Amino acid sequence: MSAAREMLCDTARAVFAEAATAGMGPIAEAGFALLLVPEDEGGFGGDWGDVNAVLQIAGAMVPDLPVAELIVSEALQPAATVSLMAGAMGQALALSIEHVNTRQQFGRPLGKFQAVQQSLAVMACEVRAVEAAAAALATRLDAVGLDPAAADFEIAAAKLRANRAVGVVTAIAHQVHGAIGFTREYDLNRVTIPLMRWRGAHGNDAYWALILGRQVAEFGGEGLWEALTAR
Amino acid sequence: MQGFALYPFDPPGDVAALRAELRAWLAVNQPQGDIVARANCWASFDADFSRALGAAGYIGMTLPERYGGGDRHPLERYVVIEELLAAGAPVGAHWIADRQTGPLIQRYGSEEQRECYLPGIAKGELYACIGLSEPGAGSDLAAVRTTARETAEGWRINGQKIWTTGAHFSHIMLALVRTEEGSERNAGLSQLLIDLDTPGITIRPIIDMAGHHDFNEVFFDDVLVPHGALVGMRGQGWQQVTAELGLERSGPERYLSSHALLVALIDAAGAQPEPAVAALIGELAAEMWTLRQLSMSTAAKLAAGEDPMVEASVVKELGNAFEQDMPRRVQAIVTSGWDEPDNLARLLRALLIASPSFSLRGGTREVIRGIIARGLGLR
Ligand SMILES: Cc1cc2nc3c(=O)[nH]c(=O)nc-3n(C[C@H](O)[C@H](O)[C@H](O)COP(=O)(O)OP(=O)(O)OC[C@H]3O[C@@H](n4cnc5c(N)ncnc54)[C@H](O)[C@@H]3O)c2cc1C
Repeated sequence: MSAAREMLCDTARAVFAEAATAGMGPIAEAGFALLLVPEDEGGFGGDWGDVNAVLQIAGAMVPDLPVAELIVSEALQPAATVSLMAGAMGQALALSIEHVNTRQQFGRPLGKFQAVQQSLAVMACEVRAVEAAAAALATRLDAVGLDPAAADFEIAAAKLRANRAVGVVTAIAHQVHGAIGFTREYDLNRVTIPLMRWRGAHGNDAYWALILGRQVAEFGGEGLWEALTAR
Repeated sequence: MQGFALYPFDPPGDVAALRAELRAWLAVNQPQGDIVARANCWASFDADFSRALGAAGYIGMTLPERYGGGDRHPLERYVVIEELLAAGAPVGAHWIADRQTGPLIQRYGSEEQRECYLPGIAKGELYACIGLSEPGAGSDLAAVRTTARETAEGWRINGQKIWTTGAHFSHIMLALVRTEEGSERNAGLSQLLIDLDTPGITIRPIIDMAGHHDFNEVFFDDVLVPHGALVGMRGQGWQQVTAELGLERSGPERYLSSHALLVALIDAAGAQPEPAVAALIGELAAEMWTLRQLSMSTAAKLAAGEDPMVEASVVKELGNAFEQDMPRRVQAIVTSGWDEPDNLARLLRALLIASPSFSLRGGTREVIRGIIARGLGLR
């Protein structure tokens, strides 16, 4: 990660920590609305790689605040949601790992039981896949000057992949937490409820599957590979 | 594991030209044989094709020129491999030698071993097999019992390997054996490079559930190989094998084995598929696109000299699940008789039968998940 993006992420973490209790005020004041505005227009001049990084942090820390709406135009909201989802899933995984390493049953941490380890490995694969989808989508969007039409395949594929991960990720996160994860007080629901909501927002599975499937049908069998490798 | 970013996949040179060249070469040289051989094509043996591919410079690409290699960047090789797999080219004969044995000899082998074996590998004429599994050592590889004792004349090998893919057509086996008497578990193991025509070796076929002869049992009865057969350091076999398995797990073969079926499905569905079929195609395409990004990123990390053991395992786990899932989901949705003669039906049947092996070969699903769990700090 570049030094500038590293700094941006540090700022985002600090500002979102405040916003978690204070609401959108600190985020607006910090100028996040200008993230994608070019420097010569007084903006930050960021790219989608920056947006992806910031929205992943937002998805983990302030999933209920409209940060994506502040930064990104309507046409790019599906792409923005992928980043939010990647961040929230990363947070669900982090909470789960921490929990199974501390919670003891049968005289040892839950994480020492193979059944729990295998579940978390499955979950980690899904999280990793969504993080990769978000990053690859960012690469494409930046290569085509943030034109959603030129990144149509990647937007559809990434949102669909993120949607499909939600079931596994939320189910395993809650399962390994036991009853404590089902309480309002414990942090897990702060990311799992938004994940459930985001799956249906800006295109659910059926919506994107049909769009992507029709596009691929037009490529044709061999054309799919040619299209993938030409992008 | 946290804070994952994609590693940029940046091969040197003109990648588009490399792809175009290879596609043009394949248009002329890929045998037009049975469509079913295009599925799981890294198990399809074709010696003529391997020789032609080697002559064209597409095998041993990363090996030094002085051993007949191409001195190319590992990511250039990656591009070539994914093109070959997507095209369903019959790369089975030289596959293991090119992917694993060649690079391992280059890394750990002696000068003599490199000169002896690498040129043949790069020509696509010298084939290799992997001698790890034994009847008592499957997932628990450290239970290996085949022994090699050092004598005045060389190493004397006794024991048995099993499930050895391609032993019946290979020239050499890279075997993990116990060289230190009385040693236990993963200590005292070494890797030996064994010429398979050495007296005392018996190779017996094991026919798999598809009716194919791919893997074998290999027996060693007082087999004598020269001192120079030792690869790398005596007693370091475990460490070397672990590094070798990393090379094996994250390649594009982990998500492209069933690609021929996806192609056939799309072609059978036509330009305007019915919604349920379009949706399935969309879901499969999304998964495949994601896997390709993960696999390329892992390859780029490997090429940069890092050791992405966990990422490689993620690619294998997700890739195997995708490849196993695909024929099942296709069968659930297309109307096709088990014995129909059309391409889609035949590919479907072949992959349904082949796919149980995908999460066994190269480390079982449970073992792979265990590696990921260790990466998460749970073990
Ligand atoms: C098509 C194919 C090609 C192969 N080619 C080669 C080859 O070329 N060279 C070679 O050396 N080997 C080869 N193998 C062997 C392969 O590496 C082994 O099958 C694999 O390591 C598993 O060993 P096993 O079959 O003895 O199963 P086992 O180890 O007996 O395992 C059976 C089941 O139990 C599970 N299990 C085992 N231990 C544990 C545990 N501790 N915790 C949880 N679950 C566990 C496994 O995951 C698996 O699901 C090949 C296998 C196949 C199917």
